[in-house]
Amino acid sequence: MTLHEKELRAVYTDTLIELMTENSKVVCLEADLGKSSGTVPRVWEAFPDRFFDVGVAEANMIGISAGLANEGMIPFCATFTPFATRRAYDQITISIAYAENPVKIVGTAPGITTAKNGATHMCFQDLAIMRAMPNMRVYCPADVYELRAVVRYMAASKKPEYMQLIREVHAPIFDEDYEFDPLKARVLDEGSDVTLVTTGLTTQFARKAVAELKQEGILAEHIHYPSVKPFDVETLLSSVKKTNAVVTAENQNVIGGLGGAVCEVLAENYPAKVKRLGAQDRFGEVGDVPYLSATLGFSANDIAAACREMKATA
Amino acid sequence: MEMERIDSQEALDQLAREFRYIITDIMCRAGGGHIGGSLSLVEIIITLYFRIMNLKPDEPRWQDRDRFILSKGHAGPTLYTALAYRGFFPKDVLLTLNANGTQLPSHVDQVITPGVDQTAGSLGQGLSCANGIALACKLAKRSNTVFCVVGDGESQEGQIWEAAMFAAHHKLDNLVVITDYNKMQIDAEVEKIVSLEPVVDKWRSFGWEVFEMDGHDWDDIYNTLNKAMAVKDKPAMIVAHTVKAKGNVCYENRIECHFISIPDENERQRVIGGVCAAGEEGPFEFNWTEGKQE
Repeated sequence: MTLHEKELRAVYTDTLIELMTENSKVVCLEADLGKSSGTVPRVWEAFPDRFFDVGVAEANMIGISAGLANEGMIPFCATFTPFATRRAYDQITISIAYAENPVKIVGTAPGITTAKNGATHMCFQDLAIMRAMPNMRVYCPADVYELRAVVRYMAASKKPEYMQLIREVHAPIFDEDYEFDPLKARVLDEGSDVTLVTTGLTTQFARKAVAELKQEGILAEHIHYPSVKPFDVETLLSSVKKTNAVVTAENQNVIGGLGGAVCEVLAENYPAKVKRLGAQDRFGEVGDVPYLSATLGFSANDIAAACREMKATA
Repeated sequence: MEMERIDSQEALDQLAREFRYIITDIMCRAGGGHIGGSLSLVEIIITLYFRIMNLKPDEPRWQDRDRFILSKGHAGPTLYTALAYRGFFPKDVLLTLNANGTQLPSHVDQVITPGVDQTAGSLGQGLSCANGIALACKLAKRSNTVFCVVGDGESQEGQIWEAAMFAAHHKLDNLVVITDYNKMQIDAEVEKIVSLEPVVDKWRSFGWEVFEMDGHDWDDIYNTLNKAMAVKDKPAMIVAHTVKAKGNVCYENRIECHFISIPDENERQRVIGGVCAAGEEGPFEFNWTEGKQE
């Protein structure tokens, strides 16, 4: 089986096992959703002394991770995105970010990928709230190669970091040689008609939209941001100076996340018209990913339509 | 700097008087502060820092040191006084409490204050951090002890009890936690807000070895800490019966002592007088000039 035939969570687990084999300071924490992250049973069985399932107690998991990091350990702690972020937001803010304890927080099943769990588990604000926290970095890898590189980068970095982890199988975008640099956005397609900015899941959706637009003769410059914070300003500005029209798409509320970051950068540097796709300030609901992405307005079709509209008005 | 252990009752009493004066004085100079919960911890923190804990003040992050997590981070001034007396920083730095640009903020901060092991102040979080620190020490096979102080009001936070379950489950016998049971919180007595009772039974039922002590009695504190450190296969909880604002007659055991404001010189004189009058030895004033270190 090639790497990209695997589920992303399996690659997260594989990478964590590699890291824990290489470095005895790497530890894994879960809050009763290890089966969902992929670490139960594999990490637990491989490293019973460095795997801690804290039970259904996310605030405590964050605090324990902070204490471990304070002592020089490298804790990766994971649970569903709402519980990994908003549930323990003050604990993350004070015990991790303010205290400069370099914990690695992993939010699984981001946004609509939690699907049938519905609105209670469908977090649309983790990018916004984690981005608003000083000292915190925010990553959204889009395929297995990037995921592996981001996890390895996090293990080596001395910063508090948050990463969204999509669990399922997704098409490969990058390859074995991929190297992650949080200050380097990836131009996946070059074009001069419209700048299309995506991250994580919507990078997958946008691939299809860009191909469809190309057949119509619309050339979208598609930029994937694996890091929403820190944010690569230069790549965005150089693209928008060509296109003067921007579409952002994210598996989030449109307030404060990727679209927010893009608008902040453009407003201060190079004002241009932006259309933000994502949940339009609403909660989620139960459904499958195709239904939810279409209902919320950030499916491949929605992305293509927004690019057409922005090109027409540019 | 090697610590000179302080074991005589007389020397400990003198140190406590100095601490109480300094804590009151630096708060008054700062325009106010959390006097109640700082003064209730004086004997406990002195015992830890001058009779129990193994530290290297010239190497604050020495790996084998004992750890101290002040989960009720608002009692920072008492910890800062102990750190200054142990030589982590000069005593006159205490005068900068809460001043602009200070390294001594009202709530403890591991990044800016030498000797502070864990940032705390948003209540309920420090015990979880202490769990992580104790786990890391066990993984590194260190023989040190991780001490943590939680407040009684703080123990109304759910996270305290998440941490309580975890520590017992993982048999963190290198963890000794003290509840500063001064029976008061900001709005009223703990009993009137949300009772912790039966607090000893609660901790015992969570799988902890539980002790009680008089948090102002030198021998009781010292002996109980030693018993708690000897516990095997369980974390230890010491419920310390204390008096809020102990030793300042203006505020001792008064509900308004949690945080005091010092608006003017008259009030400053009154509150300083409260701590001087409390000493059996008569008025005491710390000489800041002599306390100044290079």
